[in-house]
Amino acid sequence: MMKDCLIIGAGPAGLSAAISAAQNGVDVTVIDEFMKPGGRLLGQLHEEPDHVWWNGIEEAQKLFDEVLNQSIDLKLGTSVYHIEKANDNWLVHTNEGIYRGKTLLVAAGAAERSIPIPGWTLPGVMSIGAAQVMTNVHQVKPGHNGIVIGINVLSLAIARELQLAGVHLQGIVLPPEHLLTKGVSHPMDVFQSLLHLTHLAPSPLLKWGGLLAGKSAFIQRLSLQMYPKNGFKLWNISVQMKRVVTEIVGHEQVQGVKTADLTASGDIVPGSERTIPVDFVCIAGGLYPLVELVGVAGCPFKYIPSLGGHVPIHDERMKTPVDGLFVAGNITGIESAKVAKAQGHLAGLSISEALGKLTENAEIKRAIEHIEKTREKALIQFHPDIKKGRKHMETIAADFQKKEVSGQ
Amino acid sequence: MREDMIICRCEEVTYKDIYQTVEHHQCSSRETKLRTRAGMGYCGGRTCRTFVDQIVAEVYGEPSGDAIPLKYRPPVRPIPFKTMGGK
Repeated sequence: MMKDCLIIGAGPAGLSAAISAAQNGVDVTVIDEFMKPGGRLLGQLHEEPDHVWWNGIEEAQKLFDEVLNQSIDLKLGTSVYHIEKANDNWLVHTNEGIYRGKTLLVAAGAAERSIPIPGWTLPGVMSIGAAQVMTNVHQVKPGHNGIVIGINVLSLAIARELQLAGVHLQGIVLPPEHLLTKGVSHPMDVFQSLLHLTHLAPSPLLKWGGLLAGKSAFIQRLSLQMYPKNGFKLWNISVQMKRVVTEIVGHEQVQGVKTADLTASGDIVPGSERTIPVDFVCIAGGLYPLVELVGVAGCPFKYIPSLGGHVPIHDERMKTPVDGLFVAGNITGIESAKVAKAQGHLAGLSISEALGKLTENAEIKRAIEHIEKTREKALIQFHPDIKKGRKHMETIAADFQKKEVSGQ
Repeated sequence: MREDMIICRCEEVTYKDIYQTVEHHQCSSRETKLRTRAGMGYCGGRTCRTFVDQIVAEVYGEPSGDAIPLKYRPPVRPIPFKTMGGK
């Protein structure tokens, strides 16, 4: 059966798009691999600066309730393995058969970057996102006594969630320095990357770090030298910017990690090596846009590090240069779920417009403004240059359109 | 650093295998994939593709461009042979 619109991904972007499109009379099917709607919302739980808790499961339920109010088809547990275009329509191949649509929105979200560490293939080592899903979605503790390797926004947020679930953590530490950990393993690099997050931290130490953000390299170096080797406590979890895990050890499963202290310049302090017993290890290397399906669809990309890497070229209305192909959410750049929702809402309107079901331009304009406002108010910025990255993409998309028009 | 550290988990390709291949053949991510099988396993390179790209960028000097070095091809998820027309 031919649908007006197929949406891949039932997360905050995909569900919001389905709702706004359906409100304009678009006939929508949403497809998702997971058995529950909500995407990564399902794992989220954090306290906002105004002390209101953001409970992702409740947010997902709100979106799902709206979906139920509209006549939206939702296909869960359905995995897309290929998309192609035939006679101006999209064919979406899944393990449950082929779906057909006039327009296609890919809201596939992000995938996790890992960090190779000797011993990382042992059972009991998982990505930090996997630990989040086990804990908050399936409500199973990933272990009783763990350690997190990789210090970044994502690992701080999820470590806090693990702690709320009663999982004990030895701390959050650095990965070993090698070719594949450039920028995430040196104490100074990590220290600097955290300076833009200091508003999050209740800890006076990190706030004090925030005051150093604009200061000279000399002052920053000095403050890192004074940084305690056991780290500071963030929600009672020790963030150890001067401790490294050099190897994960165990017989058939994780039993411990080999750690060492680091000097401010990143050298191992002789004699500080020791083995800490743990029963699970989380590796946190950050997120990157999950672009496999738009890649298969032939969409051109732009490499923009502040957005998380390779992102599909798209204009400010979430439209790609491929006719009838739209994108929204983390596939366009790593940001919060609130931004993804706002982008999804806009994508639903753009799709309605493309199908001739919406002529009101003002509504689209408001939706674009709403994304910018949401970004402005976002608690967590995954990358300090996110706005520059977004602007860059707008310019690229405009140039691309000009070229298309002039037939180059 | 431990050179026997695994980079491609699906095909069990080590850091040393990949590094030496790129060094010896001065090759792209795609050629490295074909020579070592890194990125050709069950997960479709979802975990190791960025590592292969990083090693290539460092050793061969191919910087990150706008094109994705290891092209995505269907199927992007494992599917049974019968879906492809087998019995």
